[in-house]
Amino acid sequence: MANYYDIDDVLAEQEFLPVLFQQGAEGVGLFDSGDDANEVEAGAKVELPFCLARDLHVRGVVAIDVPPYFRKVSRTRKEIEADAAHVDLRSRCQYFYELGLKIAPLAGDKSIGPFLLVAFQTRYKEVLVKAHTAASAVASKHLTLLTNEEVKLCEAGQSSTAAFKKWRMGAPRLQKAPVLGRKRKPIE
Amino acid sequence: MASQADAHAATFSAAELEFLAEDELIEIVPNMRMDPLNLICGDFGPFRPQIATQVPVWLAVALKRRGKCTIRPPDWMSVEKLTQVLEAERDAEKFQPLPFHYVEISRLLFDHARDDIPDIYMVRSLIEDIKDVRFHKIGTGLEIISRERTYALRLKNLSAMEANIVRPFVTRALQTFYKLSSPDMIQDSDSVSNRQPQTANRGPRRQLKDR
Repeated sequence: MANYYDIDDVLAEQEFLPVLFQQGAEGVGLFDSGDDANEVEAGAKVELPFCLARDLHVRGVVAIDVPPYFRKVSRTRKEIEADAAHVDLRSRCQYFYELGLKIAPLAGDKSIGPFLLVAFQTRYKEVLVKAHTAASAVASKHLTLLTNEEVKLCEAGQSSTAAFKKWRMGAPRLQKAPVLGRKRKPIE
Repeated sequence: MASQADAHAATFSAAELEFLAEDELIEIVPNMRMDPLNLICGDFGPFRPQIATQVPVWLAVALKRRGKCTIRPPDWMSVEKLTQVLEAERDAEKFQPLPFHYVEISRLLFDHARDDIPDIYMVRSLIEDIKDVRFHKIGTGLEIISRERTYALRLKNLSAMEANIVRPFVTRALQTFYKLSSPDMIQDSDSVSNRQPQTANRGPRRQLKDR
């Protein structure tokens, strides 16, 4: 299912989701920090990280609620329809696309998929341009709007372009290994 | 070599590409006499003064450094040929056939064989222009993949260095598009016109540049 070793996957699953507890649960009052009793009642709304929420959902203990930024009638959707390229997805959820992919089969909201696709398609064009032109001042401002995935895409393009330019300007062919640069300390 | 997190592992570094490019054959005119060289990659020589021979670029550069030969620029590196290619690049949508390692070889020759190339400034600026036009075409081509469901990209006549630059970007982009447009994500949308029967899960093959 998930990529066990992929750190981004692990971090994406850490994102919080609102869930509705179907049954009461004892000993986990931590989630519902409102009361002193060490339990959560059935019908309580709590925020859980996705990894936990998914497993409990499978067992029928909770019902996953779609997070606010994925809902059909949300500001995020409206903003993306208006101008996808400049929406600040990072402040909403750093792992926007990954989380959306995981939530979609669980939450039973079929429109998430196409919505993500459309959002990515529009933003992709912007990312493409920024990645390869690598004007660093403009790029860094834009980078703060991008989710983790898009940032990686951008960096991939930028690093290879930068490496090419450096080579073209005449990078030395033989490079001294950084280990050799350190001077030996006299042993006392 | 590659863990998924490391973007650099999948590409060659520019220096590595240059190294690979140096295996191409090029013509030199030696000014000394030497016996044939029997190397693992082939036999080169015998070298006689003023008689042109074909050697790999690395050997040519090494000899040139020691002052033992002059390098004859390859055919495609003349001003007329390059102007032709530039015109064709600007007009056509496809990429023009160019030697696979033209970027690397041209840079090597500019660095080491400056006096052997006639009109070197013209040649240099032409090659830069060709490179820019091709890059621009790559950019427009890449925009297309965001519009329809693309599983694979075909870019004919792309040179080694250009491919290396776009490689990490394109692979990641295609991966993301693939993940986002998998069938269970878009089950109900009938705006996707390329619906295939469920057994064959591949969209139609789109060729960016036709044959």
